[in-house]
Amino acid sequence: MTRVRIALGAVEAIAELDEVHAPETTAWLRRLLPIGNQAMHSMENGREVYALLDTRGPIPEENQTIYQCVGDLFVYHKPAIFVEPVWPRHVRAFPVIGFIYERDSAVRGMTGPLATNIVGRITRGLDALAHEAPRMRREGFGELAITAL
Amino acid sequence: MRRLLFELEGTSAIAELHDDIVPDTCDAVWDILPVEGMSIHANWASREIMLHLQGDKILRLPPEGPSSHGIIAPGDIVYFWRAPQMSRGKQLAYSSEFERELSEFAIFYGDPSGVGLAASDPARGADPTLQVTTLFAHFVDLPVEFMNKCEAIRHEGLKRLVVKRYEP
Repeated sequence: MTRVRIALGAVEAIAELDEVHAPETTAWLRRLLPIGNQAMHSMENGREVYALLDTRGPIPEENQTIYQCVGDLFVYHKPAIFVEPVWPRHVRAFPVIGFIYERDSAVRGMTGPLATNIVGRITRGLDALAHEAPRMRREGFGELAITAL
Repeated sequence: MRRLLFELEGTSAIAELHDDIVPDTCDAVWDILPVEGMSIHANWASREIMLHLQGDKILRLPPEGPSSHGIIAPGDIVYFWRAPQMSRGKQLAYSSEFERELSEFAIFYGDPSGVGLAASDPARGADPTLQVTTLFAHFVDLPVEFMNKCEAIRHEGLKRLVVKRYEP
């Protein structure tokens, strides 16, 4: 089982990729590693932190849910208006990787729930992420880095 | 109509009070001005920043005016009060005094406004002893520089926001 390190600001966590239920997506994701981009906090989904992926996709369609849980690691196409202050001329969605760090959260689009591919579970360090993300909301966001272990 | 001046890191915007629709709420807001504090970006309602009212500026107002049914337009400014038991989770991003009872100006600065989890999982609250949401003003001059400063709060963290009476 592949494990990845998630570094957000000053803290780290570990996630296990779900290669059984998301074999194509996890293989696709492994090819994108290491990931290191500006961490962003969701403005629309609650306690979600995400980063843009340096690819246009497409993201394979598997292991999807609209019922994300705290600690899920997922990828999906986020509507661009939630990332940029205006709609980009041609791009309507960005592939992102993100996670939910506290309850009262669910991924939404412009009109309703969005399906996300669950690619793994955060198995260590979730509590650290759940404190670092609110701190960064107050003090400013750094990088979200995901690397293979 | 009376007007409000919002100042955020060298930029400003002007809003008009809905004196004719919610006069008591407008009077209460007017009476506590100026107010200032560190504004934080929303995470359920898209392009919204919030200014939490504190100390002697806390407002605990009854509902007034027509229900907006949770529909928000860009430029809306809403008075929001929430009883402690209505808090969503730990609210660790807020100062400790706001992690339970919350009294704030909800300032919707851009598009989309009110879209996201807030729309599909709205705060419950027909009961006015638990939660009050009153649309009391709307921006009439909202420069892009001010909007960009609001957007920057997402990435850079809290910024000082001042709300004054606009009396040119």
